[in-house]
Amino acid sequence: MGSTVKYAYIVARVRAMKGKLIPKEMYPKFLNMEIPEITRFIGESEYKNDVEELGKKYSGTDLFEHALNQNLALTYRKLIEVSQNEANFLITEYLRSWDIWNIKTIIRGKFSGAKEEEILEDLVSAGHLGYRDLLEIIKVGTIEGVIAAFERTPYYPALVGFKGNLAEIENNLDRMYYSNIIKAAEDTGNKLFLKFLRTEIDLKNLKMLFRMKRAGMERDEINKLLIPGGMELKANDLTRLSSLAFPEFVRALEEYSYWKAIADISSEFTSLINIETRLDKYGLVYASRISYYYPLSVLPILDYILSKKIEVDNLRIIVRGKETALPEDIIKAHLVM
Amino acid sequence: MVDASVVDPALVAANAKGMIAIGAGIAVGLAGIGAALGEQAIGAAAVGAMAEDEKFFGKGLLMTVIPESIAIFGLVVALILLFVF
Repeated sequence: MGSTVKYAYIVARVRAMKGKLIPKEMYPKFLNMEIPEITRFIGESEYKNDVEELGKKYSGTDLFEHALNQNLALTYRKLIEVSQNEANFLITEYLRSWDIWNIKTIIRGKFSGAKEEEILEDLVSAGHLGYRDLLEIIKVGTIEGVIAAFERTPYYPALVGFKGNLAEIENNLDRMYYSNIIKAAEDTGNKLFLKFLRTEIDLKNLKMLFRMKRAGMERDEINKLLIPGGMELKANDLTRLSSLAFPEFVRALEEYSYWKAIADISSEFTSLINIETRLDKYGLVYASRISYYYPLSVLPILDYILSKKIEVDNLRIIVRGKETALPEDIIKAHLVM
Repeated sequence: MVDASVVDPALVAANAKGMIAIGAGIAVGLAGIGAALGEQAIGAAAVGAMAEDEKFFGKGLLMTVIPESIAIFGLVVALILLFVF
């Protein structure tokens, strides 16, 4: 009784927010529009305030990009602000993934010598680290300085051993995030949250497996990068899958329920984009389905978080694709809808 | 044992009336608590939806008062107790 009542407020609110997302029928229409038309449409929608606020500083696709990121960050922050108790704790923990995203972006940016403005364009301050903190950190010139700036955050242990290998600390951060969040979920005893998380880990591992198999990486290297704690892909499944050659690996996937997400494109596994889009869609459909099975739980909130992120990603793909004059079918292949 | 013949009939009648009043009170009280338990989640949800979109006011209000029928059932039982018996 108590557990359902405490989610009633936030779930109803999130459902109302989900109703305001851009319907997926709109995406094919966007493909037929020009960038100014899309920007105008977005400027009249939920992104109105962000477009107006940033309109003085940026223009064109930069404006678009910043407005989307700001809106995403504000939406996620709002979720943290309007939730209470367990929901608040779980949302806060889940959104730490954006801290990881920001840390990765800054370090990658510094590593490749990107300008402050360029790094700023990709930051989404939806996690614990605020926009102002991130702004300060971006101003630091070296990677070592950036890492030192994170000293007081819980992410420091994953960063401290940096010796020039970017992939290693990114992997450390990912593993740290998932092990912490699984621990947090176990502490609250929220089985549904754990279930969602484990499926997310599976999908992430699958994507990584596909990428690394395509790149022809060795088993030991692959194993180092995979994240433990998945739902169907347990540690021994991962070891087995990582040791197979690409065709056998694809065949071995037929045993798992994720196969149905990619079965119809099994003849054309040459393109990773198709596979990743399908897996993202599977995650989205899964989240929405289980959120209807357990309507008064944390799941509708997670479903919204995922849907919002995919909306922003889709809009960005469309605009960036249009800007670089990509053919419509290629843009379409990247959209998750 | 008390001999029934010595008990004042007026006292018995008053006692029975008192019992009916207590029964009526319990009927309304418990029905009210039941309705409140139902309404707390619906009310919270209605406020949540309204915070996002004011158009949910009508629907939210309607949904919130649906468990109120239980309180009315309690009231009806109480009235029957008080006026029929």
